[in-house]
Amino acid sequence: MTLETGIFYGLGGLLLILSLLVVTTRNLFRGALALSTALGVMAGLFVLLGGDFLAAGQLLIYVGGVMVLILFVVMFVQTPALFRAPQTNRRWIPALVLGAGVAAVFIHIFYTVPMPEETLAPAAPTSAALGKLLLGDMAVPFEVVSLILLAALVGALVFGLEREL
Amino acid sequence: MAEVGIILRQGVDFARQWLVGMGATPFQALVASKVFETTVTISVILAIPLFLVYAERKISAFMQARLGPMHTGPWGLLQTPADTLKLFFKEDIVPQGADPLIHLMAVVLAAAPVFVCFAPVPFGRGFPLINLDTGILFVFAVSGISTLGILAAGWGSANKFSMLGGIRGAAQMVSYEIPRALSVVPVVLFYSSLNLQTIACAQMVRWHGWMPKWFIFYPGIGQIAFILFLIASVAETNRIPFDIPEAESELVSGYHTEYSGMKFAFFFLAEYVYVFLSSALAATLFLGGGDGAAFLPSWVWFTLKTGAVIFLFLWFRWTFPRLRVDRLMQFCWQFLLPLALVNIVLAAAWITWKTA
Repeated sequence: MTLETGIFYGLGGLLLILSLLVVTTRNLFRGALALSTALGVMAGLFVLLGGDFLAAGQLLIYVGGVMVLILFVVMFVQTPALFRAPQTNRRWIPALVLGAGVAAVFIHIFYTVPMPEETLAPAAPTSAALGKLLLGDMAVPFEVVSLILLAALVGALVFGLEREL
Repeated sequence: MAEVGIILRQGVDFARQWLVGMGATPFQALVASKVFETTVTISVILAIPLFLVYAERKISAFMQARLGPMHTGPWGLLQTPADTLKLFFKEDIVPQGADPLIHLMAVVLAAAPVFVCFAPVPFGRGFPLINLDTGILFVFAVSGISTLGILAAGWGSANKFSMLGGIRGAAQMVSYEIPRALSVVPVVLFYSSLNLQTIACAQMVRWHGWMPKWFIFYPGIGQIAFILFLIASVAETNRIPFDIPEAESELVSGYHTEYSGMKFAFFFLAEYVYVFLSSALAATLFLGGGDGAAFLPSWVWFTLKTGAVIFLFLWFRWTFPRLRVDRLMQFCWQFLLPLALVNIVLAAAWITWKTA
């Protein structure tokens, strides 16, 4: 087993445990902390795949930005009653069956479809190539995505206004 | 004096070859040398707050025409080690009703990212631990994790003052992160690299053969970017005049009210190391890194420049009164952010004009 394989299985196991913790814990704040750690571990997996810019972006946007906002929301909504509330609703049996079915399909594909045996390419800097792509060939999709974000921002402002426009 | 960075680099290379000669594979030797380098760096970083706390006490004292600590050791030199020793032996108190896990994790989340941030910082010739291509972005990304720690400290203390402090701290740090990152964009545009080592090396040339081509000397753009970065860094490190999250007169001590002993010490350690990190970044990005006259080695020049920026941090503390919480946000979103965007446009126009 090489070092990369070891790190991959270590990070993967950690990610699974943390993700399970996010959905099972009754303490919302602890769940949010587990989620932020899981997102950080994901950045580690990105690094392993050679996406250094993507990993830094993941940490900057998700762990440093989005998770802080989620924690703000958790502070507003966490009440002692939540610790006694049921964690499942009436449809948990169909959901379980559906989930097991999807898992079975995935496992079947994993064992029957031949996987290409490829080793990881040596990690190379990606930010220069990404920058050229985003502001060159992919400039229009990039701008359209930012337009969607702008629309979301204006929408949040309209919903957040206390008086009518 | 010698170039410590290059000597260390040669020493590590020699040790690696010796390990390979002893029968280790090159890969094992590489891992061992990286572990060694990381340990040395973290040990040095842990010592920084000792000096900064002493400097802060003495400089504050001189600014107020006092003497500062004088009794423990010569000129009070041993005051900070004595305080550290005291903090080691203090009882660790977790408030009743607080979540003990979050109370502990807050310290870890606030203090641990500090040490990772130093990996790509070039302290001088031959120094950066990793020649990271995403350098400056990596530092901003990792230092952003500390915000979670401050928020968790506010929540995990089961105290209203701590909670208010934590929320204020998180809001302030998330907001000021934006002008801070945007103020660096002109630097990245000019040197077309995120790599801190590349940026520092690109400034080692001269204008007309004598004027150092540091980024701060670019007319207009350089000064605006530096001032924006400095203001946002002071706000990021929660120091006066931006110490709204701690604000002794309103919130007791903000998010670290309920912490004692070494947990409390770690919050302070993180704050002081962030001050050092911000100053080191300012020295690298705007003041030419290890560039300077040849009679001193590059790491001494780097330390001198970092020390000068740290002095600015201390100077601010005794010059400006604390901002009100709404004024703080207004200042960030209505003044710093537009100015940073205008500066980026100016820098882009300059580059287009130069290359056209």
